[in-house]
Amino acid sequence: MDRRKAIQRTGQLAVTTLLMPSMLSLFQSCQKENRLDWQPEFLKEEEAKTISALVDLILPRTETPGALDVKVDVFIDKVIAQTYDAAEQENIRKEIAGFNADCEKTFGNIFIDLNKADQTKILQEAETTSGKINPGVWGTSIGEQKPVGFYRSMKSMAIWAYFTSEEIGEKVLNYDPVPGIYDPCKPLSEIGNRWSL
Amino acid sequence: MANFNIDAKKNMVYDAIVIGSGISGGWAAKELCEKGLKTLVLERGRIVEHVVDYPTMNLDPWDTELRGGLTPEEKKKHYKNIRSGWVNRENEHFWADDAANPYTESKPFLWLRGHQMGGKSLLWGKQTYRWSDLDFEANAKDGNGVDWPIRYKDIEPWYTYVEKFAGISGEALGLPQLPDSHFLPPMELNCVEKHVKNRIEKEFKSRHMIIGRVAHLTQPHNGRGQCQNRNRCDRGCPYGAYFSSNAVTLPPANATGNLTIRPYSIVQSLIYDNKKEKVTGVRIIDSETNDTIEYHSKIVFVNASTLSTTQILMNSKSSRFENGLGNDSGELGHNLMDHTYRVGAMGKVDGFDDMYYKGRRPNGIYIPRYVNIDEDSKSDKFVRGFGFQGGGFRGGNPANIESFGADFKDSILKPGPWEFFITGFAECLPYHDNQVTLNTNVLDKWGQPTLSIDAEFKANEKALNKQIQEDAVEMLQKTGLKDIHGFDNEHPPGYGVHEMGTARMGRDPKTSVLNGFNQVHAAKNVFVTDGACMTSSSCVNPSLTYMALTARAANHAVSELKKLNL
Repeated sequence: MDRRKAIQRTGQLAVTTLLMPSMLSLFQSCQKENRLDWQPEFLKEEEAKTISALVDLILPRTETPGALDVKVDVFIDKVIAQTYDAAEQENIRKEIAGFNADCEKTFGNIFIDLNKADQTKILQEAETTSGKINPGVWGTSIGEQKPVGFYRSMKSMAIWAYFTSEEIGEKVLNYDPVPGIYDPCKPLSEIGNRWSL
Repeated sequence: MANFNIDAKKNMVYDAIVIGSGISGGWAAKELCEKGLKTLVLERGRIVEHVVDYPTMNLDPWDTELRGGLTPEEKKKHYKNIRSGWVNRENEHFWADDAANPYTESKPFLWLRGHQMGGKSLLWGKQTYRWSDLDFEANAKDGNGVDWPIRYKDIEPWYTYVEKFAGISGEALGLPQLPDSHFLPPMELNCVEKHVKNRIEKEFKSRHMIIGRVAHLTQPHNGRGQCQNRNRCDRGCPYGAYFSSNAVTLPPANATGNLTIRPYSIVQSLIYDNKKEKVTGVRIIDSETNDTIEYHSKIVFVNASTLSTTQILMNSKSSRFENGLGNDSGELGHNLMDHTYRVGAMGKVDGFDDMYYKGRRPNGIYIPRYVNIDEDSKSDKFVRGFGFQGGGFRGGNPANIESFGADFKDSILKPGPWEFFITGFAECLPYHDNQVTLNTNVLDKWGQPTLSIDAEFKANEKALNKQIQEDAVEMLQKTGLKDIHGFDNEHPPGYGVHEMGTARMGRDPKTSVLNGFNQVHAAKNVFVTDGACMTSSSCVNPSLTYMALTARAANHAVSELKKLNL
């Protein structure tokens, strides 16, 4: 029953993919005019644009779709809107403001108004100063997880949103909802990308 | 399929009442029904029919709006459960509502509950190991707690009996401290696990590493399908490939025509008759109508889950049992145990970057206990022992890689580095002061007293955990792993979800609640065969032992009924 639904949805996705180039050019032209082409549920326009620019720089389009192609920014806004409590929402707002304040301090402008070279420098700096996420065992981190800061947690959320999008999860990564067997040792060359599930 | 008979209005009198339908309650229902007893199963929650009521079993992350995320309301409902790390959108409906079912942590304790038909048998870890005489003799030998009234030979035929029906996959090793089950073919170790196994067994005489012994079918068995390696067990398995009451024990119980299962039935107390000197029935509150109803039976099996079982017994007060049914010894509620949890080590494995696996095997590795098993392995720092679970997989966290942009994105589409971890489960001693008490200051939604839980790990468990971490790091070092992290999350009891004790079995009614056949000493038509009955905790996962004790007790109950002894 659910499989059938999924297959139907995959069909719809193929149609979407065909339409993609024109939609993307539309999106890019919007971006030049510095307007959002989606309505955030929680984020204010400037915050949403910050997230969009950030995830685009982390996961840009290459031969495979980028974060914006699979609406990572839209999903992050949805997660903040629907899974964060009021205190967490206030905190993320503060963190985005703090991130922009750092950009202003270093380069005189907020993130979205910086050129790509300066944005890149900001992220390079953030990579070296942000904490790391502890490995987990069975759903919980091992040891004491120290706060990792805005950049690392947003990067982590972007990767999660990217991997769990239908386009990436079904078409780019290896999608195998019912493996049947467990093949314990298989050459990577015969598999290719990581498993999506 | 099943079409369970849920009409308990027609009949108020049964041969047997079983309280709870989880791992042990399901077995009690099956055994009693198959032996011809008209049996009423009282289930606190709703009916969950196999397959029909597994709404999330085939969902991919992108099929739900928040891709597994929980809303603040759902987080509030599970504000305690969530600490376990197990709760997500796809299994949320199988976890009890913490807000509606409060408990008080006098000391930190995580009490995970599943309030539906099947209970936690829908959520458990499926690790299934026999206990040995190393466990059943432990209390008698080192003087902690009281002696078990049974030995391995008493339970061995019942292990065999339940294993053959449930279907346990695994590898035979012939170790006295971890007796072999009747096995279906084992699941397989991946290349890194095989590598680690070879190195550990070479470096450490008397240590072994095997694939986990699990209640997952590796071939079709008794009309159920084999595991398809989806690792979505906690949503309910469409193939019935893992052991749950819903897929395995309740359908055959139902097929006898002797089963009635009554959902939404919160047991308030057992009804004790002073003259007959036995329990004559069970008083319930219908959780939907708030009606109080009494059902009657010749025998009662209490299988509500360790602490809920004890809560019911404590709440069953009468002139004969002022401090709770069967509590002549004063031990009811005491000697609460759990295994220590999330102590071990993790590291990265070089040299296998060109290898991967296919399938999501719902199982890991197991390293059986190797300390305090004989004179040579005796520790002077602690009594009892520990075992390890763990596994190897391609993991890593791409968010931690200090890079971003086009090359980064393309690189993380490939699997991450191989990692391997082991985490110990240590035995907890039975301490009288690790206890639960009825709390009349905090009442639940139905006006019933709740539990206060006052338990902690003490010096012996802490010494075991210290050894676990040292040994885990040493094993990974000698195996040649890199970037090794030892860890001890210092979880309080409850996180292992192996809560045991509080109505222990024993030889002497003065120091125990149950006898050698799980009968309440002073009310022999009441049987307790869930985790509450345990006299010690071993370091080995307990569920298989609950199954065997239940089948054994049910057999005894029917034989005693026939002899008119109950």
